[in-house]
Amino acid sequence: MKRILTVLGIAAMSFMYAQGGTLIINNYTPYEYRGDIIANNSLGCYPIVANTDKIIVPADSHTGNGQQLQYDNYRDQYTSSLYPNPNWTVSTSVSTTNVRPWNHASLIPGGTISNNTKWAATKFDMFDTGTGSYVTGFNANLSVSTCNSSAPTPFYNTPSGLNSAEMFVIGSITYIQLY
Amino acid sequence: MKKYCLLTAFTVLGLISCNNEGTAINNVASMKTPQMENFDKAFKSLGEPQNRPNEEERKRNTSELSDRRKALLVPASKELILSTGITEAEITRKTSGDMSQIIVWATQIYMQKSDEIRKNIKTEN
Repeated sequence: MKRILTVLGIAAMSFMYAQGGTLIINNYTPYEYRGDIIANNSLGCYPIVANTDKIIVPADSHTGNGQQLQYDNYRDQYTSSLYPNPNWTVSTSVSTTNVRPWNHASLIPGGTISNNTKWAATKFDMFDTGTGSYVTGFNANLSVSTCNSSAPTPFYNTPSGLNSAEMFVIGSITYIQLY
Repeated sequence: MKKYCLLTAFTVLGLISCNNEGTAINNVASMKTPQMENFDKAFKSLGEPQNRPNEEERKRNTSELSDRRKALLVPASKELILSTGITEAEITRKTSGDMSQIIVWATQIYMQKSDEIRKNIKTEN
């Protein structure tokens, strides 16, 4: 009996781990990504989860050199990611917003917030560390969310045509790519 | 029961050890297999002008990558899966040819291989 329970427990854990999915940011550009990453509920938009402090992914950081931002879930990112995010801002309604630490019970795999949100959007500016200023025209809001019948806006091309950015989903993985 | 306790203990140890590997990360790129490199290139190639989303793809009301663009990732994904000794027949059986499943599977293999490389670097140092 104990054995069965253990196996069931492990199975349940691995199932919960899959909730919400993984987020990967591949920054192929020579600029630094400075932005926000937002998860929400695919139906009514709430709850909404976002980073509290800016997320920074340095220039040329992607799976190709092992420097990608990878968040497997709200909690484990803090211990397993190269870019740990200590606090999440969680809104459960228009009027209710709380800052929660990475290991808050609602954010762990299987937690209420965790189970009811998926990666939805990013809002970013690209920064040139060489000149110390933001790259003109290389900032955007990308969204793959369809909550409240909103249309996704997953692509962005810079006016110069030199750079682009996009957000897309493949199965359980959500990608944000900067070219 | 003991067995499971031990297994859990080792898993936890494994997880902890994975957390301290940032330092060796820079060398991972140089130790990748050709299949891993092609997999990287495929993802990066999505940003090339001819591979960017076209008019029709921009109008779709879905977040899932389009089939045309998934198809750009599938050959490298399959190559990577095959390089682990898994056969074409097994890929077909497990994924029924579903492109997303093939790509996600390859991604998992890729991450696992990167971790192994990192561990090897660590033991060598």
